[in-house]
Amino acid sequence: MSQHASVTAVSSPLPAFEVRQLSFRYDSVRSRPSGGRSAWVINGMDFSVRQGEIIGVIGPNGSGKSSLLKLLTKLVRPQEGTICLFGAELAALSRESISRQVAYMPQDLSFDFPFSVLDLVLMGRFSYRGGGLWNLLGWERREDLAVAEEAMAQTDVTHLASRMIDTLSAGERQRVLLARALAQVPRVLMLDEPTAHLDLNHQLDVCRILHRVHAQLRMTVLLVSHDVNLASQYCDRILVMKQGAVVCIGPPRDVIQPQILTEVYGCQVLVDAHPDTGLPRVSLPAQDRHQTVAASGML
Amino acid sequence: MIVHPSPSQTSVSDPTMMAPPVPLRSCEGAASWQALRARRWYAVMGLMMLLTCGAIVFCLQFGAHALTLAELWSALTFSTAGREDVARVIIWDIRFPRILMGLFVGASLAITGAALQALVRNPLADPYVLGISSGAALGATIGLALGLGSIVGGLGLPLCAFIGGGLSIVLVYGIAASQGQLPMHQLLLAGVIVNAVCSALMMFVTSILNPASLYRVVLWLMGTLSAPSIPALIGIGSCLLIAVVLLIKESQALNLLAVGEDAARSIGVDSDRVQRTVFLVSAVLTGAIVSVSGMIGFVGMVVPHLVRILCGADHRLLLPVSALGGGILLMVADTVARTVVAPAEIPVGVITALIGGPFFIYLLMTRKYRFFA
Repeated sequence: MSQHASVTAVSSPLPAFEVRQLSFRYDSVRSRPSGGRSAWVINGMDFSVRQGEIIGVIGPNGSGKSSLLKLLTKLVRPQEGTICLFGAELAALSRESISRQVAYMPQDLSFDFPFSVLDLVLMGRFSYRGGGLWNLLGWERREDLAVAEEAMAQTDVTHLASRMIDTLSAGERQRVLLARALAQVPRVLMLDEPTAHLDLNHQLDVCRILHRVHAQLRMTVLLVSHDVNLASQYCDRILVMKQGAVVCIGPPRDVIQPQILTEVYGCQVLVDAHPDTGLPRVSLPAQDRHQTVAASGML
Repeated sequence: MIVHPSPSQTSVSDPTMMAPPVPLRSCEGAASWQALRARRWYAVMGLMMLLTCGAIVFCLQFGAHALTLAELWSALTFSTAGREDVARVIIWDIRFPRILMGLFVGASLAITGAALQALVRNPLADPYVLGISSGAALGATIGLALGLGSIVGGLGLPLCAFIGGGLSIVLVYGIAASQGQLPMHQLLLAGVIVNAVCSALMMFVTSILNPASLYRVVLWLMGTLSAPSIPALIGIGSCLLIAVVLLIKESQALNLLAVGEDAARSIGVDSDRVQRTVFLVSAVLTGAIVSVSGMIGFVGMVVPHLVRILCGADHRLLLPVSALGGGILLMVADTVARTVVAPAEIPVGVITALIGGPFFIYLLMTRKYRFFA
């Protein structure tokens, strides 16, 4: 695939992420009752994320997308390979210094506890908290509240500040979580399925906000999505994963192609141009044309 | 634009003095929010303190022998004459230690319940899920069976219970942390298993006990507060004080963990350390209180739940308010327990369930009320 390597050869800033020979597997006694080692979840990945780009990660279920995000936030550690965050080795960085540079928005959050929206957004300020006996409770400073307010304004949730999160709709929650991530004042924003379970209007909201944040704050955005069309419309580059390895990486026009998607997902797809943007658009074929690709040996 | 705070600007005392480098509109909003949050915290805590003092006075006044406020006042201030001597003995030697013990035990149950609920992300957890209570109960039962109940000046039973509780903590922790981590579902399962095994062993021991010891075991299991010894009071009080400080120090981390562990870690929470701290603090405190009061149900689960409905889930407020609320509930329940069928007593665990249950159901059904949130 085309890598556009020549464009930024001279004044290229440090890449946000530089991933070399990354391999990872869950090292759990229970994952394999037979006693053998578990399979590699990430298997020798090499890629880099440029500063200020929106990069989408797509791939079938179980291809290691979420594990990749956890590796990039040092929530789990790789068995092999290195990850560099703005030139510094991730393994050597402290939890707090990572959390001031990378905000991670996972899927599986619990809303059983009635926190207010402001409480939740202020949680993003955790790594900036003051310590000491005089502030045992860890109250936020006024700067923290100003940052939280700014973040809530960015994601249009200021009017919800005193609402409880368990009373919000899924779309509002997602925007609140985005505000919490922005309150970390990160350089990189990592999102795991930000539009899952949202209706069309809320999907559009989240995407618009992402685009605005990216444009205004020059933030690097890395998003994992099952929605290939969303990735195609909003990402500068797309990383396609399969079985823990990079299949290809490049701009949507190069990557969103029928043969690549068919190889990765194992089913036939139709790709045409989006009527507004001209970017590739993916649809599934009619049922009678949905033949047994997996059996035909294209993998 | 968003700015990084400088560590020197930390004062909350004078909102007009500071000029943070942010747009005016944001700053005004932020300042008013900050003032509101702090004011709300002090208001709620002040109210709870007042309620606690009121509850102490109420509990001092009532019992097998009700006192008038005048009698209470003269007994408390030592301006004695004749009959007040009786009141003074009742208050200082009998009621006051017992009320304090009620306050400490209730506070311990409620604050550990609140912290554990956040840790396991389940609003139905309580201090007994960790399996410590049955370990302590087994210890106490074995102690009674071996006739150790009255050694060490009457402290034999609590000591046996504490040892049993301690052993079960080690066991639960050992099972849960077997792979170097402390997964919360593993912790819950280990607690359930240890609970079950200890209960079975306890039933075996009680089945071969003589009737007199059996009665003591049953009474202890139902949960009772009796006039405690001064060393027990000091021991529990200092355990509680240390636990409150350690837990409140982690309150913002608990907030984050209650929403999601991976997310919390990605924002900078050292989840391993917080989980270990909260588990060990809760376990030791629960072991200590179970050893003096037996199993008093309901307080540890329901008080944090009530406080959350009334005040929201922020643990900076939830933990101290739960502690005071649990203390108040148990003091009042114990007063009822020693008053309604005086001179006999009802086990206080019966009262906590009878008062709390219906009230809890009422609040659940009218959940829209969040008075301080």
